Amino acid sequence: MEETEAKEFDAAIGGTEHLPFSANSLKFASSRSVEIAAMTESILRPSKSKLIFQSLPVHMRRRVMSHNCKRLPRRLRRGHLEQLKKSGLPPKQKRPSRKYRRRPANLLEEYNRRQKQHVWLETHIWHAKRFHMTERWGHRLPYAPCDKAFRACYRGSSAHCLLQDISYYTPIQITGTVTQIKEMFAKVTSCLCGLSVSAMAYINGTRQGTAHIYNVNSFPFGYIGKVEFIWVPSDSTNKTLWLFVHPSQATIIQSVLNDASCTQDNNDYEVAKKKRKVGSVTGSIEIKVMQRFNRFRLTGPNSHAIVAESLKCVNDDLLKNAKWTSLHKPKDLIDKNEYWEAISTAKSPAQLPAHMVVGLVVIDPRLRRPRYRTKAKQDTDTDINTDTLRKIPPYLSNSPLWDVKIHESIKKELMTNGQFVKHITKNNLVPGVVDEDDPALQCVPVVLVQRPGSQNPEFKKIGYGSGWDIIIPSGYALPFWLTFIMFGARSGGLRETESLAFEMGECYLPPDSNAGKQNENRIESEMRDRYFRLPPSKRVNYNKIAINSPFRCPWNILLSDWSDDKINEFFVLRNKTALNEIQDCITRKKCLPNIENGTKCLVPVYVKVTAKGSLQRHALICLPEVSDLSNLKTLFEPHHEDPNEKVRKLKRKEHVKSLKKIKKKNYKLKKKLQQEKKPMYTKKLRKVHRREPSEYVKAMRELWLPSEIETVRKVGTREVMGYIAQGAFSFTEARSCGVGYIAYNALRHLLNTGLNQVLVRNPTSRKYRLANIVITMNT
Amino acid sequence: MADENTSQKKEDSKKRPKRHPNKNYALKKRVPLKPVDGDNVIFITKKTNFKAQLDKCCDLLTRGEKDIILHGLGAAIQRCCNLALQLEILFSGTCQIEVNTGTIDCVDDLEPLTDELDFDSQVRCSSSIHIRIFRTAMLGANQ
Repeated sequence: MEETEAKEFDAAIGGTEHLPFSANSLKFASSRSVEIAAMTESILRPSKSKLIFQSLPVHMRRRVMSHNCKRLPRRLRRGHLEQLKKSGLPPKQKRPSRKYRRRPANLLEEYNRRQKQHVWLETHIWHAKRFHMTERWGHRLPYAPCDKAFRACYRGSSAHCLLQDISYYTPIQITGTVTQIKEMFAKVTSCLCGLSVSAMAYINGTRQGTAHIYNVNSFPFGYIGKVEFIWVPSDSTNKTLWLFVHPSQATIIQSVLNDASCTQDNNDYEVAKKKRKVGSVTGSIEIKVMQRFNRFRLTGPNSHAIVAESLKCVNDDLLKNAKWTSLHKPKDLIDKNEYWEAISTAKSPAQLPAHMVVGLVVIDPRLRRPRYRTKAKQDTDTDINTDTLRKIPPYLSNSPLWDVKIHESIKKELMTNGQFVKHITKNNLVPGVVDEDDPALQCVPVVLVQRPGSQNPEFKKIGYGSGWDIIIPSGYALPFWLTFIMFGARSGGLRETESLAFEMGECYLPPDSNAGKQNENRIESEMRDRYFRLPPSKRVNYNKIAINSPFRCPWNILLSDWSDDKINEFFVLRNKTALNEIQDCITRKKCLPNIENGTKCLVPVYVKVTAKGSLQRHALICLPEVSDLSNLKTLFEPHHEDPNEKVRKLKRKEHVKSLKKIKKKNYKLKKKLQQEKKPMYTKKLRKVHRREPSEYVKAMRELWLPSEIETVRKVGTREVMGYIAQGAFSFTEARSCGVGYIAYNALRHLLNTGLNQVLVRNPTSRKYRLANIVITMNT
Repeated sequence: MADENTSQKKEDSKKRPKRHPNKNYALKKRVPLKPVDGDNVIFITKKTNFKAQLDKCCDLLTRGEKDIILHGLGAAIQRCCNLALQLEILFSGTCQIEVNTGTIDCVDDLEPLTDELDFDSQVRCSSSIHIRIFRTAMLGANQ
């Protein structure tokens, strides 16, 4: 220690200060109390720069302390919450524990809440665990299985069995006399498109029919959609007809049918309207949208084996145990059972009568389930008598399922899975063996509808797409579904519906219907979004390859280009004789006949690429020149100049400049504010998330893809005749195929040049490829 | 078949009135009744590539299958015979052929084109051939 600094305080040691001999304790304490108070206050209310948990020693700190106050010692929690409030963040609501959430009652509540927005199928939870789900037509539907099994699903449909839940189809019940129903449907259908609803072939109810529905008296325009219908077999004059309508068209069809039934007698129009409001519909047609049935679609040759294995008809003794049989007594059970046994050895559903309807009463499917997933097979070599295959017995099609009264009772008496397991474990004397004649389980009425698949060997392999549709009362979806799965069916979703329609050469949602237009819009917005999410260097420059509508097919503009005047409404040709005639003309290279409204007509075609190459959606169908056939290999669309390229570059430059300016300005503002020590409000304002793209982005998008199109016909070197609505590699044809539409006038032009092949070009490519066209009959 | 039809069309139509009964129906074909399917059973079609079918048969035989059965129906009979003969040459001396012929009843749906008619069906007979190719001597080296 240096001497200069060593100043002592105490006089006893040598300092200058003298300590007092006595201390006034009161004065001492009072002077300390201020210090103590300051200290305690500083502990309780820490200075603003520090958070409470930061005051803890390091070893006591825990992760996510700031979010979760339970990590803090209890004495600090209050202060912490107060701090949170001050900083503006409301303390987070705690998520209930998983245990709480998974309690059955709470889970059910949650499920009910989620079902309010979109309707769920009964198999929803099974599907949601295994499928990608999408929202369509007010339903939450399975789109595609999570295992990447696209080809497996095709194989299922062609060689094994593909199972789809199509319970979203809306049933509509129509009751009335045959003449009334006939009159009503005469207004909304056309006899040119095929058999009418009240045709001899369908009216006894042994077969399911299909009909194209149009707006009232507007054929060929105003197409709505295709419906499937089944007549309920009965001898009385008042008959019942069930329509199964796609959910995208359900509301329109209902209103159209109401209109058609209303305008029967114009004088009685008001009366009829009043009557319907009251609900007493005596003597007129009654149209009701019913509670859903469950409807499963089994496709593929093995579906017959699966259905035959899982459905076993009941005998009379078992019937008495089910309560619903007292409401409606099923008929002809023994005959039906016999017939079902006789046809159960068939190798494929395509061997049975087309569109046959079979009403059965079967035992609970859970009793038929195999213990392990096994493939249902038919190895017996017993041949079926051809007579059983030729005719449908008249007793076969009646079913108690169509009686609405019994549905409630069936649903009430349904044994839940839990009850079923309890029951089985309790009453099983021999473990592993299930008593099929268990009286505790009620029997179930089901209706089976055969689909013949392809019946034209020139177009598609015979029997492709054949299968069974099974209609099940509500509540019984999962027991049936799981039984089919256990017998080796492969489940598919909406994607399989689309691909199956494509393989069959059908357009899934035709472009002249409302549903089709909505579908087109959805596809366009999806593709557009995806396109503009790509960086500019990865985007296809459609201007350079002469494609002006890569994401949708502009049918109106196409038809206007091929006729002289502007066309606002168009239709797809469904007139069977005309289609046959056109097909004949194409194969023989004859000139096309004149048809009514030819300028507004699209002809549905199936396009098969002759050599290699793939087809995509929205590909162009072009008119070939005669010389093209010889030099196909070098037939490319030449490069085009993009007029907007320079404009885009300039615009971008300007935009970058302006952005820089704004940035600079903001920086200056920030500095200024910091100097004045004002809070930063400007920053918060800028963080607001903008959903709508800015004006600049919109303008740039417009420069990439001009939305105003005037013409599509003569954009490239080859004239555009039509578009491909759905294109892909087709497994049934082993080559690229597409379902598309050609303007009638363009087809006529083609045949006048003496050719019957077309050129196709993908929207992302310059290469033209040669393709054959076939008219599709079953649109 | 097609050529014969065009040359003798008039006679044929008199002989076989079943084929095109009248203008009121559209003929729709169903899948014919099939014999039992299995690993060693091959249905010969006209659409499948001939070489592919031949390779499949060769594979089956060399893999140690004791016999394979080829089924041909209608126009595919000729191809079925060709295939069997090719196989006999390829596996000369080690396999033999046993041929059975038969007739299969094919059911056709007659879909009405007018409202007044009901569905109908007809039975059409089609010739079939069933060829069994079986090994007489196994080639150990081939295994």
